[in-house]
Amino acid sequence: MNKITQSRLLQITAVFLFLQSLIITLSPAARARTWDVEFRFSQWIALGVWGLLVARAHYDITRKLPDADPYLFPAAALISGWGLLTIWRLDTNFGVRQTGSFFISMIVLIAGTRLLTIDFLRRYKYILLTCGMFLVTLTLIFGTNPSGSGPRLWLGYRDFYLQPSEPLKFLLVVFLAAYLADKLPSRLRTIHILYPTIILSGIVILLLIIQRDLGTASIFTALYTIIIYLATGRKRILLAAFFLMAFVGVAGYYFVGIVQARVDSWLNPWNDPSGSSYQIIQSLIAIANGGIVGRGPGLGDPGFIPVALSDFIFAAIAEETGLFGTFGLLAIIGLIITRGLRVALRASDLFRRILAAGITAYFGVQTILIVGGNLRLLPLTGVTLPFVSYGGSSLLTSFIALFVLIHISNHLDIDPAPLPKPQPYLALGAFLSLGLFACALTNGWWSVVRGADLLTRSDNQRRMIEEQFVSRGLILDSTNSIINDNHGEIGSFSRNYKYVDLAPVIGYTDPIYGQAGLEATLDDYLRGIKGNPTSTLWWSNLLYGMNPEGLNVRLSIDLYLQNRTDEMLVGKRGAVVLLNAKTGEILVMASHPTFNPNHFDESGTKLITDPNKPLINRATLGQYPTGSIMQPFIDALYGDESVNDNVLINVFKTFGFYQAPQIQLPVAPALSQDDIDTMRVSPLQMALASAALSNHGVIPAPRIAMAVNTPVEGWVSLPELGKPIEAIQAQAGDDAASSYLVENQTYWQHSGQAQEGESSFTWFIGGTPPNFQATPLAIVVLLEENNLRLAQRIGEELLVDAMHP
Amino acid sequence: MTALLVLILRVALAIALYAFLGRILFTLWQDLKQQGEFLSSQKKPGIHIHAVLENGKDIQQRFVQSEVTIGRDPNCDFPVIDEAVSAHHVRISYHHSQWWLEDLNSTNGTFMGKIQVIVPTVLITSDQFKCGGTTFTILVDMVDEKLLQ
Repeated sequence: MNKITQSRLLQITAVFLFLQSLIITLSPAARARTWDVEFRFSQWIALGVWGLLVARAHYDITRKLPDADPYLFPAAALISGWGLLTIWRLDTNFGVRQTGSFFISMIVLIAGTRLLTIDFLRRYKYILLTCGMFLVTLTLIFGTNPSGSGPRLWLGYRDFYLQPSEPLKFLLVVFLAAYLADKLPSRLRTIHILYPTIILSGIVILLLIIQRDLGTASIFTALYTIIIYLATGRKRILLAAFFLMAFVGVAGYYFVGIVQARVDSWLNPWNDPSGSSYQIIQSLIAIANGGIVGRGPGLGDPGFIPVALSDFIFAAIAEETGLFGTFGLLAIIGLIITRGLRVALRASDLFRRILAAGITAYFGVQTILIVGGNLRLLPLTGVTLPFVSYGGSSLLTSFIALFVLIHISNHLDIDPAPLPKPQPYLALGAFLSLGLFACALTNGWWSVVRGADLLTRSDNQRRMIEEQFVSRGLILDSTNSIINDNHGEIGSFSRNYKYVDLAPVIGYTDPIYGQAGLEATLDDYLRGIKGNPTSTLWWSNLLYGMNPEGLNVRLSIDLYLQNRTDEMLVGKRGAVVLLNAKTGEILVMASHPTFNPNHFDESGTKLITDPNKPLINRATLGQYPTGSIMQPFIDALYGDESVNDNVLINVFKTFGFYQAPQIQLPVAPALSQDDIDTMRVSPLQMALASAALSNHGVIPAPRIAMAVNTPVEGWVSLPELGKPIEAIQAQAGDDAASSYLVENQTYWQHSGQAQEGESSFTWFIGGTPPNFQATPLAIVVLLEENNLRLAQRIGEELLVDAMHP
Repeated sequence: MTALLVLILRVALAIALYAFLGRILFTLWQDLKQQGEFLSSQKKPGIHIHAVLENGKDIQQRFVQSEVTIGRDPNCDFPVIDEAVSAHHVRISYHHSQWWLEDLNSTNGTFMGKIQVIVPTVLITSDQFKCGGTTFTILVDMVDEKLLQ
């Protein structure tokens, strides 16, 4: 019966791991969306080794230990195989090493099935514990770290490393079980029995604290407390341990730097996302990226989490298999715990009972500690997830402990030893189950409730990966000529800026320097998040873990006029805005000097520090003193009154200079009305005010992004963000414009200069006359120099060009 | 195409994982069911109780349930009218494949021969015990040994 159960479960496990390995093989194709890729085959080696050894171990267990629990071995085999494939998928070299460790572990387990009894553990308890402690002590002198830096917790010989604190966990459990089983029936006072254990465990814990292996030290403390509580049934022990831990924790917080750092980054991770909280935040982002269904093995990017192989393997699994996977994983660990406690309750003597319960507690506590750490349920401690994490010492110890549990379970036909107090065992079961349940709930919180928030964080590096795999929407001018498109193919997409001089306006999207301009403000459309039907988004996210292809956006920019403008501005510092005075559509927006975003990689840092500020869009972000350019507006509002501060403030108010224009571009913040010394205007604001003179006193709402090409409805126009404002009486506007009309020409114009300290500025404004029969236009030219003639030439030529297309 | 195939495999993967857990629940439930059926199919032998009161009057009755209480209280399964018998004097119950005699903290005690019954004691056919002035004789039905296994 047991044999059939165990073999069925192992068959299902084999199918599970086979599918996982197959998905990893196909994952490059699913990512690249083509069959023409290099498939990943190497992880099949791990599966082959796993299959052979597990089959052999199954055969030996069912033959030599026929009455053993049939669930423990398949459960451990499943999660260790899962871990093996995950490690292999993350890093082939570490995968090979872990496969080696798995090989050794299973050989030890298979050899163990030949043991008739485990009583030698009881007899040699002192020797075993002393050996374990000796090895840990050796690390104080000869300790190394396989990665070259960090705490030196390992003993190394050539390429082999042993972390003695791992087997020591198991040896401590063995020692406590054996010692307590020997002494408890002697009816001495409990405290007398406990003295030696307190001293020995204290030494062990002290050793670990000296080594800064605080995670392991806390596991030891928890295990010691639990075992003593199980054996004696005294609740006071729990209380005492709780207060001691709290005291040590608080003391550690104030006196030990690493404790303080860990606790701080646990309580307030968002304060320092790139420093001490980097790991935990990357872990949470990975878990959020997994969501409910996960990205699929091989299809996530858990490589972004530091130490994803060992400490954060739970986050890696969560990203690739989602809540479905982690709930299954936690359920399997829960199964090991319940079966382990059952073995303990049915054990034939006190030694085996305490030993089985202690091993169960070891699995449970360590799982909760690291999974809780990954989920920010508990402060982070660098311990391993039993059976799953990378680490040979941990895997071997886990399997030895599992073997002992299986061996104890084989004596279920003998009557269980009497149990005076069952409560401690039930309490342990309830405590561990609650811990796993809390982990599952927290996992759901990060994956579902907080998932979207986490994924839009700027330190989510998966967005950068997505840019390479999903083509970004094109940016087109008003005649559908391409301004920005993409280079490369799936997996290597990068942005291609065809019309370079528009860079300060259109902006850029760059993995290192982020996004700016329209590339930033229209990001949701260009990425395909907005404008696609929900079903498309959902399906694309399910299949690829990415958003669908981006949508093309059409601007109001006229590339012909833009090009004319940029030619005239070469080598200057300044800005030009030409717009449709009625609809507010911006036909030209130029800001010079410009830069070439195609070469951002090489020139990015230099551009940021360039004193000419080429990255700034002067047309919307530049704010300039006005000087004599204000005259037409004063005329429109007051006629021939003499200018004073109040008049100027009123003009500013009326023509919207105290308001930031609403447009899909970053604009300079609105200036305060109270401060007379900073009366400045951006070229865009000036252009909108000029438009009012050509548009019967109405300031149009500016527009630059006109329409988006959606898959369902075709081109859909993007609404204007602001509203047209009736600034002045239509007649007043018309009169003002008429008084600045140029003889023999169909436009009005005015130019002026402003001075501020050493710098001088030249303004030119102009527009079509009030009764103009075609498209009404308005223009602003600003030069950061004293050059009236150039400003006039640019403005007039552009106006004429725009009026006669 | 590729991603669709992988999606199908991912669904199969999730099914395999939960098939593992489902299989465990299934076997655990089967165990439970089997145990229930085993317990309910267990045949217990009936018990025949023969009581002789102090005044020589005798009562006898056969029981098939697994628990019989004897006492002065008329609600007992086997009520006896004897001043020296407590209201709930003893319990005879079947478990661990045996009939057991258990004193329910009676005032005058229960005796088998001259030995007082303090801990539950196994009863076999023709065993006699005494509560107050009444003497009880037990006859256990013969049951096919195979059924007991």
